[in-house]
Amino acid sequence: MTMSATDRFFQTLADRKHEELLEKVSGTLRFDLSHDEQTDHWMVTVKNGDVAVSRDDSDADSIVRMPKDLFDQLVVGRVNAFTALLRGEAAAKGNLELPVLLQRLLPGPPRGKQPRPEAAPTPSPGAAAVADAHAGAGAGTGIGASAEAGRR
Amino acid sequence: MSVAQVKILDGNTFVVSGPNGDIQATGTDTSGMFSYDTRFLSDWVLTVNGQRLTTLSVDDVHYFESRHFLVPDTGTVYTDSKIAVVRERTVCEGFHEVLTVMNHDENPVDLTIRLEAGSDFADIFEIKDALASKGKYYTHAEEGRLVLGYQRDSYHRLTEIIASSPAQYDRQGLTFNAHIEPDSEWRTDIQVDAEIRGLGGDVVHVGHAWGANRSRSAGEMQRDLERWVAHAPRLECDWDPLKRTYRRSLIDLAALRFSPTIADERSLPSAGLPWFMTMFGRDSILTSIQALAFTPELAATTLQVLGAWQGSRTDDFRDEDPGRILHELRYGELTAFEERPHSPYYGTADATALYVVLLDEYERWTGDAKMVCNLEHEARAALNWIDEYADLTGRGYVSYQRRNEESGLENQCWKDSWDSLSYKDGSLPGYPRTTCECQGYAYDAKIRGARLAREFWHDEEYAKKLEASAEDLKQRFNRDFWVDDGGYFALAIDEKGRQLEVLSSNIGHLLWSGIVDDDKARTIASHLMGDRLFSGWGVRTLAEGEVRYNPIGYHVGTVWPFDCSFIALGLRKYGFKEEAAKLAAGILDAAEFFQGRLPEAFAGYPRALTMYPVEYPTACSPQAWSTGTPLLLLQTMLGLEPLGDHLIVDPVLPAGIGHMELLRIPGRWGRIDAFGRGRLEVSTGQAAIRPQLGATLPDLPHI
Repeated sequence: MTMSATDRFFQTLADRKHEELLEKVSGTLRFDLSHDEQTDHWMVTVKNGDVAVSRDDSDADSIVRMPKDLFDQLVVGRVNAFTALLRGEAAAKGNLELPVLLQRLLPGPPRGKQPRPEAAPTPSPGAAAVADAHAGAGAGTGIGASAEAGRR
Repeated sequence: MSVAQVKILDGNTFVVSGPNGDIQATGTDTSGMFSYDTRFLSDWVLTVNGQRLTTLSVDDVHYFESRHFLVPDTGTVYTDSKIAVVRERTVCEGFHEVLTVMNHDENPVDLTIRLEAGSDFADIFEIKDALASKGKYYTHAEEGRLVLGYQRDSYHRLTEIIASSPAQYDRQGLTFNAHIEPDSEWRTDIQVDAEIRGLGGDVVHVGHAWGANRSRSAGEMQRDLERWVAHAPRLECDWDPLKRTYRRSLIDLAALRFSPTIADERSLPSAGLPWFMTMFGRDSILTSIQALAFTPELAATTLQVLGAWQGSRTDDFRDEDPGRILHELRYGELTAFEERPHSPYYGTADATALYVVLLDEYERWTGDAKMVCNLEHEARAALNWIDEYADLTGRGYVSYQRRNEESGLENQCWKDSWDSLSYKDGSLPGYPRTTCECQGYAYDAKIRGARLAREFWHDEEYAKKLEASAEDLKQRFNRDFWVDDGGYFALAIDEKGRQLEVLSSNIGHLLWSGIVDDDKARTIASHLMGDRLFSGWGVRTLAEGEVRYNPIGYHVGTVWPFDCSFIALGLRKYGFKEEAAKLAAGILDAAEFFQGRLPEAFAGYPRALTMYPVEYPTACSPQAWSTGTPLLLLQTMLGLEPLGDHLIVDPVLPAGIGHMELLRIPGRWGRIDAFGRGRLEVSTGQAAIRPQLGATLPDLPHI
């Protein structure tokens, strides 16, 4: 069975073990992703930047709900998490600091145009990129970032 | 409703009505009840027996509460009514209205009391730009409540209206039949709730003004306000208008507090009513700096929240880069559907450097080293943005050019109107644009970043690198921006490095930043306080005599109080204490004409011409950084400056103020009092500070 973008996202997050952007926070964040009349649960536990991922469905400090196909789009940068929330396509409750910080790991939308030709790629200043070769649509520094990430 | 609007607010919920409490939104006006950038009520009109009501008096008791005394409109100039109506309204996640109708007649009366209700659910951007809505409206008149709703795909907003007394609810409003005995009254409570519906119809609080809980009662808000004012330093001085201005500022700052999604019950300053009741990078940072000696907790929240939303990727639509601090965050329909990029929008050239400036300044006042360590990653990313992402021309300066050419901001400096930057001949430059003050902020950020690196992050190498880079920037800047024959710094340089040689207020911010070579400071100070820039009230955004100078042009001739507060601080920094005091006197004197509430901007006419400050027509008020202005001016006049664990007090008061005391100033020293004495003992009196300002006015009637 091929991995979905969602599976890859959580796999990458789990593999990284530590995430600099999350060093300020500790807490649990559960994703409830619905598809085919069922709900997948992904539990992300953060302790001062150390990240663990499980399929636990126990209670969490914050809970984010949305259809799984939307989350598939979100983790490759084709959908923005905040506007999906405002549109009512996704929901979040509990402490929202963790989801806000976590969404920063997601790639940006596909670039409308290429960066300036003279701009050489530089190492990202934020979280070191976890390039996910399968999700090369986005440009950014986070999980799922493509190679063109960087300066303009 | 162009006249005498009554505005009450709490967080980002606010109500703008006519003096009689009615709301009848038309065209692009901002009447209505707003929450999260959406108008939830655009019609709210009270009639008694079919008659509209006319206002006897109106009182905005507190910033969150108004009281309207009304009588039925007889259509003549005489009011001889036996019926009187009182509307008492409190903002709280929507609003609560207590409606009381009194019968002063000797006979009982039967009245039909009606409230017409309607909502256009307009995004505040739609109102500003007069756009049409794309969704569907619905109305449910039920037993006991009226629901007005708006849906566009899964986007769903609704307004629920519930009265405590029996009423007939129909699709256009609600009607009460009241029988009132002689000398008796009838009363009902009406709750108007703004609701955001999320996935599956759940009620969502995407960032309630006061945390996740239901809003507070008027009593709780009153106690909170009292605590807020009591917690701030106390001002004593022999110039009464200043005391009133100070109190007004504290209360308005309380009103403008806003708790975004992730801040729990902590708050930061939103930018201002009515258009900007949201989180802005630049405005929130500068207001937090202005208030540091008074309410440093605002700065703490600003740093945390802007840090959490710091850019992390390259996103052309949002003009986002890694490390960039946001410009503006919005919650309305156009943002939700990405017809506007404010989710959040990052197109600002100055907020990122100013973020580092705030972090350092915050630590200097509060001693909160934990914050500096917590935000190390954010501060480094911000400093990195300056060098890696903001240098669009390869000249080693911070420049801007939007990548979102449809709805991004063309001007990403604080003077963001279309004509704010021009060459000497009045023509407009191309892009990228490189404004002078942004280089000052970048220099300051590097110097301050070096201190943070050395003292808190224990990274001496990085500190040295930042200092070297700052020194290099300073040298190049003093060469490339210096207008030789003018003796000042150019407003900006264009994409080819050519100067925009106009004289502007921006040079004052350069003093604040410290980028100005010492031997150039005196000529800068004399330009700032000279006739071309200083109007007698404050420093004009653009000097008189420039081609685009217009005393009522938004950024090309008006005086902006916040601008002047940082200019005064800059003058002080380079030792021009008298000049700083004189500028403070001008702005604070102007404040008296606005009942202590400085507007966003006022006209740049010379003081001698108008004798009073002319308010800019569509100025935003209250506006956060205007509200913070008197605070920073007090700090400047008293010469308050943290040094290690001590607070230096080095007062130079404007001529005419005999004494000034600021008591219980919070900071790393605990609480401390500062005293200032004027150089001349003068009798107290309002006009005492005026002679130095260029035109003498008779005493104002006591406001």
